[in-house]
Amino acid sequence: MGKSVLKAVVALLLVVAFCIPASAQNLMSELSKESVISKVIERNKLRVGFSTFVPWAMKDKNGDFIGFEIDVMTELAKDLGVEIEFVPTTWSGIIPALLADKFDVIIGGMSVTTQRNLKVNFSAPYDYTGIGILASLKKGGDIHSLEDVNKEGVIIVARIGSTPAAAAKQYFPKAAVRLFEKETQCVQELMTGRATVMLASAPLPAFKAYEFPKKLFVPVKGTFTKEPIAFALRKGDPDTLNVLNNWIRIKQDSGWLKARKDYWFEGKQWENMLK
Amino acid sequence: MQHKRYRPVLLDYILLAFIGGSILYFFWKLENELQYEWRWATIPQFIFKNTNGTWEPNFLLEGLLTTIRLSIWATILASVVGVVMGLARVSQSCFARMISRTYVEVVRNMPPIVLIFISYFFLSAQLTRYFALDTMVQDLPSWLYSAISILFNKPSQLTQFVTGVITLGLYEGAYITEIVRGGVNSVQRGQWEASASLGFSRFDQLRLVVLPQALKVIIPPLAGQFISTIKDSAILSVISIQELTFQGLELMASTYLVFEIWITITMMYLVLTLGCSVLSRRVERALEWKN
Repeated sequence: MGKSVLKAVVALLLVVAFCIPASAQNLMSELSKESVISKVIERNKLRVGFSTFVPWAMKDKNGDFIGFEIDVMTELAKDLGVEIEFVPTTWSGIIPALLADKFDVIIGGMSVTTQRNLKVNFSAPYDYTGIGILASLKKGGDIHSLEDVNKEGVIIVARIGSTPAAAAKQYFPKAAVRLFEKETQCVQELMTGRATVMLASAPLPAFKAYEFPKKLFVPVKGTFTKEPIAFALRKGDPDTLNVLNNWIRIKQDSGWLKARKDYWFEGKQWENMLK
Repeated sequence: MQHKRYRPVLLDYILLAFIGGSILYFFWKLENELQYEWRWATIPQFIFKNTNGTWEPNFLLEGLLTTIRLSIWATILASVVGVVMGLARVSQSCFARMISRTYVEVVRNMPPIVLIFISYFFLSAQLTRYFALDTMVQDLPSWLYSAISILFNKPSQLTQFVTGVITLGLYEGAYITEIVRGGVNSVQRGQWEASASLGFSRFDQLRLVVLPQALKVIIPPLAGQFISTIKDSAILSVISIQELTFQGLELMASTYLVFEIWITITMMYLVLTLGCSVLSRRVERALEWKN
């Protein structure tokens, strides 16, 4: 009796001992099977969420998407050997839409912030951006430095949910901040003289000042922040993160990323594709 | 009804001059104060594009087509929901009345944008989970695939489109419910009683006596509600359904041709809604003749 109990216990222990690593292995293979990247391969389609941002992603006159991010997405899909599906999304709802599985990854010039990082995972940065200032000549003609912006009576406009919107509150607490869904609306506010300055990611301030020299100008040259830009994906997916990170490293080292960035940000040869 | 020729009076001319003056003032202000540079020449290419000699609709027109498809399906859904709920609203069963009353009050007292966000993040997730529309469509034969593209939307955006239709349909359905209830209640009580005394069942009373009379009252506001559906569909742009307003906003974000695009979009909506107005007027006339 005693012997058989002992046998049973030993047998049970043996079974458990064999099962633990096996189940850990199962868990790992389950995880990688559930990962976004293997679903993308299975579906043969990479769904990418983004929002219109000149010159990151925009529509050309034929209704096709062009821009730096579009190049990045297309190249990524090409290297993965899958088709690409563009999912244009409003910026303010882009993270909820990612979490609700409307697409697999955000490639939309999204700056890494700690707040955002609590909700999503970020890949390694593939690019850097900074916030520049664009001012209205009519209303903000007397602005020459960052200190001039942090005054009462100054109206700052920025895009809802963007890092410039957060920076406006952080760097210029004395000024009033008004937020809009699209950058077009912000620029319009400056043009009509209802707002003093606009905060936006480079190169928009410089581009717009160049385009409308009679109304807009750049009071402070360059950018006053430096922000890493990365792909965002749902949390808890190490496999996909690994693939994306290494893809970025490959493209960085081969010089491909820099070449594309120079094309979209340094020159404006692409401008006649828009209108 | 006879239609007299309308003679304009002095006030009409004053009003006309005032409206014309305001429009001129708006453009003058844009021209001088904002120094807005009009670039109308770039707009037509966003409506039609010429690829290899064949003319195809470009994204503004595609947006309009999506708006039309959305409106048609939402109208159909709203009518079904509205009629069922409207009849429940006047039913003898307390339970049915409570259900439809709750539905109407919940939807009417909620800003449509909130309803849309809730359904986008909740309803749409359920649709994907239980029906997997996107992958279902992928495996379909090609003729069915193109039929879906024509009737609904690009198959890859089917889930979004369906979410939009359901949301809009439920939203408009609440108003149609009230229209149906109003129509049925406008029929005199005596009609119910008279038909009951003739031995009609409750269903036959409704079908043969009350509804035909109610229809005359229901049709005009119903047409108005259909036109509302077209206008309200613009709000679906916030959840990235690629209808006319969304396409316009995206286009503005990349070209900064703000006024040209808004004016073009306004005109497109106007053509659509005015067309429906004319159509509904015709239907009303036809009904008038019958009586």
